[in-house]
Amino acid sequence: MMKQPLYDAVIIGSGASGGAVAYTLTKAGYKVAMLEKGRLIRREEFSKDELAYCRRDIVTPNLFDEYHVIEQKVDGKWEATPTYDSGWSFWNGNIVGGSSNFMSGMFHRLHPDDFRLKSKYGAIEGANVVDWPISYEDIEPYYTMAENIVGISGHYKPHPFEPPRSTPDFPQPPTQENEVVKLLDRSCRKLGVTSLVTPRAVLSQDRGHRKACYYSNFCGSYGCSSGAKGSSREALLPAALATGNLTLMSNTHVKQLVSESKTHVGYALAVDTITGKEKHIRGRIFIVAAQAHESARLLLNSADKNHPDGLANSSGELGKNLIFSGGGSGQGELHRDALKHISFDALMQTGLFVNRSVLDWYFIDDWLEGKFKGGSVEFMFEHQNIISRALKHNYDGEKLVWGKALGERVVKRFREQKSIRFEIFNDWLPTDDCFVSVDPTHKDKYGMPVGKLRINGHPQDVKVGNYIAKKCEKILEEMGAKNIYSSVSNAPAQNLVAGGCRFGDDPKTSVLNKYCQAHDIPNLFVADASFMPTGGSVAYTWTIYANAFRVADKIVEVLKKSEV
Amino acid sequence: MILGSITGLSACLKAENAHAQMRDFKKIRPVIAAVQEHMFPKNSTLPSARSMHTIDFTEETIFHHTYDKDIRTFVIAGAQELIAREERFLSYGPAQKEKALRAYEQTGYGSNWLARIMTLTMEALFSDPVYGSNINESGWRAIKSFGGIPRPTTRYIA
Ligand SMILES: Cc1cc2nc3c(=O)[nH]c(=O)nc-3n(C[C@H](O)[C@H](O)[C@H](O)COP(=O)(O)OP(=O)(O)OC[C@H]3O[C@@H](n4cnc5c(N)ncnc54)[C@H](O)[C@@H]3O)c2cc1C
Ligand code: SF4
Repeated sequence: MMKQPLYDAVIIGSGASGGAVAYTLTKAGYKVAMLEKGRLIRREEFSKDELAYCRRDIVTPNLFDEYHVIEQKVDGKWEATPTYDSGWSFWNGNIVGGSSNFMSGMFHRLHPDDFRLKSKYGAIEGANVVDWPISYEDIEPYYTMAENIVGISGHYKPHPFEPPRSTPDFPQPPTQENEVVKLLDRSCRKLGVTSLVTPRAVLSQDRGHRKACYYSNFCGSYGCSSGAKGSSREALLPAALATGNLTLMSNTHVKQLVSESKTHVGYALAVDTITGKEKHIRGRIFIVAAQAHESARLLLNSADKNHPDGLANSSGELGKNLIFSGGGSGQGELHRDALKHISFDALMQTGLFVNRSVLDWYFIDDWLEGKFKGGSVEFMFEHQNIISRALKHNYDGEKLVWGKALGERVVKRFREQKSIRFEIFNDWLPTDDCFVSVDPTHKDKYGMPVGKLRINGHPQDVKVGNYIAKKCEKILEEMGAKNIYSSVSNAPAQNLVAGGCRFGDDPKTSVLNKYCQAHDIPNLFVADASFMPTGGSVAYTWTIYANAFRVADKIVEVLKKSEV
Repeated sequence: MILGSITGLSACLKAENAHAQMRDFKKIRPVIAAVQEHMFPKNSTLPSARSMHTIDFTEETIFHHTYDKDIRTFVIAGAQELIAREERFLSYGPAQKEKALRAYEQTGYGSNWLARIMTLTMEALFSDPVYGSNINESGWRAIKSFGGIPRPTTRYIA
């Protein structure tokens, strides 16, 4: 085989975390190869095709080719189901830019106390809660950096649970809002709840090659056609490519990282997904950024004679303490004939955001229930997808409604009301019953063992979720919503996943050091949310971006000192 | 520099199987069409299944490589089961069809199958017209809700 070029850094995955590392390294002058299993879809190619983007596996692998095995407790026994049987995909977006293309972009920073949950609240039985090896102050500059580079719009209002910030306000004003916020704000005020403007990784104004949001009405689960959404593909990769230092290899699936000694990774073994040809990509440093559950799987699948239990697994902790976002959601209907304070036409205006969050219950001190860590809440309209909305609530008891009665029901639902929704984000406590391993029998189409995810939530997560859901239902009631319901459970949000490669100071109990560098292997880093020992009570992606920028600075330092 | 092709990997379909399944489908196609027409009749506030050619959409959809092959098998088998229970289903009037389908719904299998046909028909009525149904956006116009911009110009991001 011809001698392959030696890149300064090889990044596996082009999503949020991979993009942030590539951005910093290429700007610092290093030659970077980015290996991405998915294809490139350009901004001009995206559309709001519900069937393709939301109902078929087109931007994610076909589940008969590549899948996960999900292990859940049923009647006290672990039951394993391959996702091709259940249809419950754990892929979140496998194209250049990863799932960041499809996010809704509701962004929050973690709170300083999220970095020291154990010291603050003490141990919780059955949960592996630990403090982080870094503090909020260590990452704050990078939150700010992400705000500027990725482009986060919003409006800062002081609040007891709003983390401190080093700049007075966001680089861009908030995105435009539907008039429903008047009703929501008013209802919150009446109940003594503070509603805050949601920071969003969406540009409200043009910036460089990216155009402002045009309020397309179909944001989450869809690629953005203006470049407003702060995906890695729009916000980071163009600048990295412009340096001339980035080689972006799409359709390149990494099967294994191959070590050359106990302390050194030599190359990535990848397969061209079009031709099936294998190739070796050599580098001085390797950065895994494949999204938490797949990153752990890749390291486990890279077991070899130097590392019989997988790369970076001398602690035996690799894959352990996988976490998701805990909580649940609820919604209610605002009916034309019962609407207060705003006009029905204004409510029905499409595209504009609700843009409100509540942090009042981030930490709870309740006279009856005691003191405990709570969570955050986002308000939004029900997802505007037409097919999925048309399919909801079409049963009369056990009987499917059809015929003229169905027509009347569906038309009324779409024309006489709009549903307002809340989503709760609280800690998914890390436990021994939530981890990634590789399946002993199931293999993907490349012949590699698939990731097996044992998933179980801690009862505390549901308790917290229910506590907050009750408060949110009150807000919807105050707004005059009808048919209010909520659902809180231990079912994971598969698009918000973290953990599996905990960082920590002790190599015996953690996979990565505080810079997300493998304790055992100095030229191996993991840049995505895998490092998080606890998840905080907000969606992860602002933290993923910020931490990846922080890790990238360390990698530059390592490369500069020629430590690898 | 961007290496690698921009066209995605197309999932490969097991050809022999697909042929046999297509033959089976053609046989029960009128049964599925009749069920769709019963669920979405004329003179409703929604456009009818017949006027929107939902059966053509159904055929094309379930045989596309992006469609779950187990569900495709189920769509066909469920129709075979219905016609095995109700041999003369196609000649029934609306009241008899209603009775037959409600009886089928009493079985867990039948109720799952009817829900699947409902899903496919709703997908037809409310997906972008590029997929061949929702003609002139009649489905969208009935509910005054429209797909987002930009609209797709090809099926399945081809
Ligand atoms: C519908 C949706 C809505 C969301 N909304 C929000 C939100 O409102 N707020 C928020 O904070 N977060 C949100 N998220 C989550 C957010 O998208 C993710 O947290 C973030 O993108 C994760 O970044 P990452 O780098 O870990 O992974 P990704 O961005 O997913 O990137 C990982 C990349 O690695 C590639 N890859 C994986 N394995 C391999 C391999 N073996 N070889 C080569 N390449 C590989 C994948 O194809 C993928 O492109 C949402 C996600 C979805 C899907
Ligand atoms: S235009 Fe705005 S609403 Fe539409 S996808 Fe882009 S960021 Fe989201």
